[in-house]
Amino acid sequence: MLTLDGVTVAYPAFQLGPIDLTVGREVLAVLGPSGCGKTTLLAAIAGITPPDAGHLYWAGAPLDAVPVEARRAALVFQESAVFPHMTARANIAYAAAGADQVERMADLLEIADVLDQPADTLSGGERRRVEVARALAAAPRVLLLDEPTTGLDAPIKRRLRDQLRTVLTGFDIPVLYVTHDQREAAAVADRIAVMEDGTIHQVAPPTTLFNAPATPFVASFTGNDNVFPARVLPPDPHPRVAWNGHVVRVANHDFAPGTDVWLCVRPEQVSVLADGDPARPNVLPAALQHSVYEGGTYTLTLEVGADGASSRLEARMLPPALRRLNRPPPASVHIRLDAAAVHLMPRIDAASPSER
Amino acid sequence: MAMSPLTSRFNGVRDGFGVAVLLGGVLLLYYLVPLVALFVAEPPAQVIDRLGDADVGRAAGVSLGAAGVTAGVSLLLGVPLAYALARSQRAWKRVVTALVVVPLVFPPIVSGMLLLTLFNPNSLIGGVAAAGGVPLTRSFVAVVLAQTFVASPFVVITAKAAFEGVPRAYEYASRSLGKSRWATFWRVTIPLAWPGILAGVTLAFARAIGEFGATIMMAYYPRTLPVQIWVAFTTLGLDAAFPVALLLAAISIAALVVLNTIGANPWTQ
Repeated sequence: MLTLDGVTVAYPAFQLGPIDLTVGREVLAVLGPSGCGKTTLLAAIAGITPPDAGHLYWAGAPLDAVPVEARRAALVFQESAVFPHMTARANIAYAAAGADQVERMADLLEIADVLDQPADTLSGGERRRVEVARALAAAPRVLLLDEPTTGLDAPIKRRLRDQLRTVLTGFDIPVLYVTHDQREAAAVADRIAVMEDGTIHQVAPPTTLFNAPATPFVASFTGNDNVFPARVLPPDPHPRVAWNGHVVRVANHDFAPGTDVWLCVRPEQVSVLADGDPARPNVLPAALQHSVYEGGTYTLTLEVGADGASSRLEARMLPPALRRLNRPPPASVHIRLDAAAVHLMPRIDAASPSER
Repeated sequence: MAMSPLTSRFNGVRDGFGVAVLLGGVLLLYYLVPLVALFVAEPPAQVIDRLGDADVGRAAGVSLGAAGVTAGVSLLLGVPLAYALARSQRAWKRVVTALVVVPLVFPPIVSGMLLLTLFNPNSLIGGVAAAGGVPLTRSFVAVVLAQTFVASPFVVITAKAAFEGVPRAYEYASRSLGKSRWATFWRVTIPLAWPGILAGVTLAFARAIGEFGATIMMAYYPRTLPVQIWVAFTTLGLDAAFPVALLLAAISIAALVVLNTIGANPWTQ
């Protein structure tokens, strides 16, 4: 088990941490925008960048004085560090204990047919797989993957992602998988840590992270911009909030009545109805403003509100559902929010995420 | 006839290019003509006759031997310095790099004077070495000392650039796979930087074999080919010096061929 205790790396214009994190035998995706400190975090774990403060532990033993080569934290670089002066086989053998291990890794990552090619003739996807095979051949205690699918074409990217998921599950070691792609993170990881500006916002399993984000940033970075200010109402006995002049039932929460909160609901959890009964709970009138086809799904923009306060809400719909709705924008419609899908977050600062 | 803006623009470029070709051509001719003259000025029989001279043979042996040793010493001492300079982030890097360049821009005869001051038999170092049976002037060692001072910076400068061209990610990846710095240096860094290092060594060899100014100050004997040329020229005249010059030129050109061969194939194992 890898433990980070207040790990801080300070640069003149940027600071990572303090980071507190424990990684067990799992794939932990580190998700965040570029420049948020993901790579610096890996470098600190690998021993390349010593922390300015805080400590690292492996199974309780401090790692601070352990040099890179003795940490056994194999690193796979974003820009690919397959040694160009060697064949794929020599690259893997460089780290492997024996020739049979090279074959085993090659089979596992499906690169047996390119083993004897010089590394500089491999395709981008092959190079990544060789590098992962080489890292795993070193029998590391921890595997660090820095954007392993970056720069690959979509189909190759998806295949590599699924392959990594399968391979990594079989190794049963702590894996840190850095990515800026929320879908990839959800697909490969047991847990996701969302980072911004050198700090971790939330560490949670993918479904929790997507449905119950801890902060507006996490919501936004996981593809949910439906974050709005609301105020907690006393339960009736359903938990409720006041939002834009409406009363909305929400998922269970710990906020006291009267608390200002952020309300959030994922676009795919918003139902758009041609005719709804506003007397029923969580059915609200809305103005459908436009719909955009985003390849596979439509994103609908709706204006929801009453008493002069309104919010712009997004809903996601599959083409058949949109055809059934049969309301070309602009049009008056209703939305229905599933109470269990309406999540509340603490509102500390006044600025809404869209204004940040 | 009216020309389109595109055509006239291209013509403008071509006019400029013509001037460049003309000016560059003058310089190229200036390089080429003496080279051709070197190989046609003397009848071949006379050249072969002169090259059979024992003095010339000895000088060739000294030159090749000393330049070889110089190249080896430059490799051994220059590569670690080049690596340290390439990987250092510190402020002293610039100062040290400047120091390495000094022998390149120094007049060789001045370098020779300084070395002579340092290594003559009446100096501290020269005296101790001479007493121990290794005279540091008028000896093979003296030739190597003079050549190393003048030629080794080529190895440092070229190898430094080669090391800087090896991404640090390769080294970090290697170490993260459990390989020590030492193993990483030998198995990853050196192979990747090797074409550049070899180019530096070849340049140093070529510079060493042509070295005259510093060498003649340090060692009139044993004679190297450049010193032999000088002696032949001053005692017997230009005609006598020509065949030796031809030999030296041939060795230099061979070094250039080696250099180009290395450059053409940087990543082969």
